[in-house]
Amino acid sequence: MRRVTLTRAGDGFAVALDGRTWRIDAARVDANTLSLIVDGAENTKAGFEVTIAPGQAAGQLTVQIGAVPVTVAIDGQRRWSRPDDPAGAGPQRITAPMPGRVIRVLVQPGGRVKARQGLVVVEAMKMENELRAGRDGTVTEVHVHEGLSVDAGALLIVIQ
Amino acid sequence: MQKILIANRGEIAVRIIRACREMDVSPIAVYSECDRSAPHVRHADRAYAIGPSEPRESYLNIDRLIDVAKRSGADAVHPGYGFLAENDAFARAVRDAGLTFIGPSPEAIAAMGSKVAARRAAVRAGVPVVPGTEEPLDSTLSDDALAGVAHAIGYPLLVKAVAGGGGKGMRTVTDSADLAGAIRAARSEAQTAFGDAAVYLERRLTRPRHIEVQLLGDAHGTVLPFVERECSIQRRHQKVLEESPSVAVSPALRARLTSAAAAVARAVGYTNAGTIEFLLDEEGPFYFLEMNTRLQVEHPITEMVTGVDLVRWQIRIARGERLDLDPSSLVAPNGHAIECRIYAEDPDNGFLPSPGRILHLSVPSGPGIRDDSGAVAGLDVPIFYDPLISKLVAWGEDRARAMARLRRALAEYRVAGIRTTIPFFTWLLAQPEFVEGRVHTSFLDERLQSRNGRPFVEPTADTEDLAAIAAAIHLALPLRGDASPAADAGRWRTEARREGLRTV
Repeated sequence: MRRVTLTRAGDGFAVALDGRTWRIDAARVDANTLSLIVDGAENTKAGFEVTIAPGQAAGQLTVQIGAVPVTVAIDGQRRWSRPDDPAGAGPQRITAPMPGRVIRVLVQPGGRVKARQGLVVVEAMKMENELRAGRDGTVTEVHVHEGLSVDAGALLIVIQ
Repeated sequence: MQKILIANRGEIAVRIIRACREMDVSPIAVYSECDRSAPHVRHADRAYAIGPSEPRESYLNIDRLIDVAKRSGADAVHPGYGFLAENDAFARAVRDAGLTFIGPSPEAIAAMGSKVAARRAAVRAGVPVVPGTEEPLDSTLSDDALAGVAHAIGYPLLVKAVAGGGGKGMRTVTDSADLAGAIRAARSEAQTAFGDAAVYLERRLTRPRHIEVQLLGDAHGTVLPFVERECSIQRRHQKVLEESPSVAVSPALRARLTSAAAAVARAVGYTNAGTIEFLLDEEGPFYFLEMNTRLQVEHPITEMVTGVDLVRWQIRIARGERLDLDPSSLVAPNGHAIECRIYAEDPDNGFLPSPGRILHLSVPSGPGIRDDSGAVAGLDVPIFYDPLISKLVAWGEDRARAMARLRRALAEYRVAGIRTTIPFFTWLLAQPEFVEGRVHTSFLDERLQSRNGRPFVEPTADTEDLAAIAAAIHLALPLRGDASPAADAGRWRTEARREGLRTV
């Protein structure tokens, strides 16, 4: 987790993060684009075009810097962190990321699964898409069978 | 030819509209329910609704397409690629309606559409085919008899659907014990995917390259081949990056490949644009794989290294004009071109489709860069079709410079709102095997498997710091900041006055 403190300073911001500080000149280019000029050593890259859009989950932003996309998850007011690593808690609810047709169910209730193990294959947009477990666990619910059409967000499988 | 109906959508419909404009031909679009505000509709002179978003109800509905083609007063139909482009019934229906089909004859499409018939045509033309069965496997053969047929070809081998494409109805068999099961599975998949369960056997080459030759044929018997394209970078049998020329093809090999391709096309009286696909064995020999009887997704790289506008020539050939290109210039590439197929897919999540609204799009440009796109900011990428949103093409004087431009362009490319395969390409262009051109058709799948799903672009701690800071500033900075157009105009005027410039 990172704690960022912003203070308006002239045309830009004084930024503090984990005990370090920068002066950053920020210009809003459009609703999704910022241009940042970071005050730092002369021989380092200081100019950045940043593209920002809502992330895939509520409270997340996708921040692209150069060719590198970074997911930033909000963690309370004015506090930001990277997204949870897969070692979370609670049941994993595997839902359909898009409408499609279930063409294979690879697990049964009661089965043990490992992180990244395939659970169910959904066909959409001409492609077969394997949905996988985020972490180790036991399958407690299977709500689909082969041939079933599912809507986006439909609950497919629950893992404890 | 005054009006062309484009029976397609997305980037290829836009590409064809551009060719029409440059030839003073009026482009007519068609659209399904979810495509009403798509760019191909907005750029056309007229557009006709052809039904619900499901492809079967719209872009694959022959009756409806013929109906709007007639109503619109179009005199020709361009099928693009995919959908009905290789459907001989559609080509025949266009012809029967008294319109010109911008592509080969229905007979040529039918002849090359069957993989077994296409192999026979290649053999007739004296072009080697991958060793395999001459005919589809007789469905009454016993498992023992099948094992005998397979033994004669040798393992490892492929079971392939006669009507196949895109890896469907295809199985690899390395051991005779798995043969009968693989044939059953391939038949069932082929029946579902193509409505035809017929399969045949073919030897599986180890580590071949996929090399293909673009052709144009006119109605007067001229067939001209182009410099090869290297399409070995494939994910699950789907091309994702193509380049021209191939690092593995010498001028002598090019001469043999292009004359073999032209011989196959002449053997079936082929007209218009088409592509002959070959497998190039590690050991050196090449084999006919199949013919695509349409414009290919990857046609821009050929255009970039030869300067020939292939879509324009498709239209000219359909009008009965003669191919008057200099044959030698078509096989002498100028520089090097590479294309990335940018998909609305999340590469860090197993390449899952990532449909949704494009909130922000800024497309790279500058020297040597071409972006053939059907996407704009504000567009919803629909769930119903192939998720290709753009083809990013880089040209350079040589391969190293083309790669450098492509890397530069990928970093300029900004898409917000949906995930795209751009981070995957950034990774691919840093792989030593790719940079050195040491690739084959299984290279990418093998590399992806060994990565175990790690993110393609991993931010450094510094980049993460900056992302957190940028996110905080994003929330703190109001949307209408210093950069609002009115404020800008005011500043421009002030500056102009200060410097004593004239303003109007």
